[in-house]
Amino acid sequence: MSLPRWALAFADESGQTSNSDSALASVTSLASLEERALVEQAQGGSRAAFEELVRRYDRDVLRLALNLMKRTEDARDVYQEAFLKVYRNLHRFRFECSFYTWLYRIVTNVCLDQLRRRQARPEDQAPESHSTQFEDAGTDFFERQREHRATLDPERHLLGQEIKTRLAAAMQTLSPRERVVFEMKHYQGLKLRAIGDALGTSEETVKNSLFRATRKLRSELGVLR
Amino acid sequence: MKPAEQNKACAEIAALLVFYVCDEVNEEERALIERHLGNCAACRTQLTEEREFQRAIGSLPQAGDQLDAAGMLLSQCRSELAETLDDLERPTKRDKGLRFGWLRGWMTLHPAWSAATLVLLGLVAGTEYSQWSSGRNDEGAQDQVVNVRPSSRLTDDQLSKMAVAGINFSPSPYSGSKNVRVRLSAEQPIELNGNLDDSNVRSVLAFVVKSGERFDSGMRLDCVDALKARAEDSEVRSALLAAARKDQNPAVRLKALEALHDAGIDSTVRQALLESLQHDSNPGVRVEAVNLLIRSLEQTPSDTVVSAAPVGELPSGSMVQTSARPAAGDGSIDTVIRALDNLQHNDPSRYVRLRSAAALREINARNDQ
Repeated sequence: MSLPRWALAFADESGQTSNSDSALASVTSLASLEERALVEQAQGGSRAAFEELVRRYDRDVLRLALNLMKRTEDARDVYQEAFLKVYRNLHRFRFECSFYTWLYRIVTNVCLDQLRRRQARPEDQAPESHSTQFEDAGTDFFERQREHRATLDPERHLLGQEIKTRLAAAMQTLSPRERVVFEMKHYQGLKLRAIGDALGTSEETVKNSLFRATRKLRSELGVLR
Repeated sequence: MKPAEQNKACAEIAALLVFYVCDEVNEEERALIERHLGNCAACRTQLTEEREFQRAIGSLPQAGDQLDAAGMLLSQCRSELAETLDDLERPTKRDKGLRFGWLRGWMTLHPAWSAATLVLLGLVAGTEYSQWSSGRNDEGAQDQVVNVRPSSRLTDDQLSKMAVAGINFSPSPYSGSKNVRVRLSAEQPIELNGNLDDSNVRSVLAFVVKSGERFDSGMRLDCVDALKARAEDSEVRSALLAAARKDQNPAVRLKALEALHDAGIDSTVRQALLESLQHDSNPGVRVEAVNLLIRSLEQTPSDTVVSAAPVGELPSGSMVQTSARPAAGDGSIDTVIRALDNLQHNDPSRYVRLRSAAALREINARNDQ
């Protein structure tokens, strides 16, 4: 699994580089010098510098939002809200961590808020049903997986579909925090400490969330053999 | 090891296996787990299952890789963000030279709060001004007014030739009291004392409401509020409809809509609500019109639901099923759905778009039931 740049940034700052190699780390540190200059220009009011920062990281932002929200409309809202927060609060950024880490914190917290809001609104629980200009974008991600990746091994394919279907149902039982922690651990490759840092909570709380999420999913999926 | 001790040890290890397989245990825990696994077949089986689970989870394709493979969504997000930043940064011609750019920026970012604040300010300013104004009029006019109770009903024509010198609600329109004292300036000053059962009192209040800018907005608000209790009266209803459609003050329009809604929905009121949500310049009023329309649909008996517009007639992107009910004229649910659908795509206020989308989902869910 290739890790997103977030993971490397967090690993760097947490002093836990188990998932990064030294070559990449040096590239990251060179990039961070250039990044600092960009951030300073953006803080000084340069729209071009701000847009360059957006273009650097927005693909990762959107990807993370899609992974967490599973719906394009929600991911789009997260994208807008997160970058507007960055824009409004950029003057408060003091380079105590990398810009990337700061952005990541904002994005994960916006996602968490959105998931909580969605949970509080029963009408928002159902997958979107209207089509947009993006084909298939409106359907629930897990639903789409039923047709996705037809494989040459029918038995394995069937097993895969079964897991996906049950996982989709199980994911709905997770609380917003459990869902975010699970995603960050298993798909973003972050350490628990880094997750706690991003969400502004303790490593112990994150550990409990991951444990509960795993137990819920395991009990839903049963034995995977 | 005794069976009870063995069970306890297994339970402790089981709780750690989740973190063991994803490399989140410390050295002490790792040693403990590995020592236990060497002697416990059941826990080794559980470890295998835990690893299988992690592998299965890790092999699932991710939404982020699938939902925007072509990068179209990313392009749209960038474009929307750029537009929002343009709006934040570019002052309009009217704003140039003003020192409230920060306020405009804030209002752009918080349309719903801005609308609510404006409405609140309108209410407060209107109420305060009305009290101040009537108090001031009291001081100057108390001795000059001749208390005359006209024997015949006042007409709009007569009223238009008089000035309304002051209206006092006693003690307050908000307390539920219906006592009203109206002073009219004419050749012969007139003072009306009565309640809303008095047709002349109603006529004067209705006249104020539909006269718009001729009277200050605080007075109009008070009158709308007092008339709310008599909204079923045709004259009052007509004045409230006029205020909902044309009054310059959004707080008055909003209150008139609420008064009409509270009195009961018919096709005329629904039409007024539709006009507001489609044409009102104030996003707060548009949102309230959406809310009132949805509430009005909840009150409509479900057995009147029939199939209406074909799918093709709805704008693309509509997520509403076209099971709908007809009502008189343009107030039909069909029209409501179209209006909401248009709003959710085209309204300049993001909050109105979101509220319209949610309203459509509510209608859809109810039709499904």
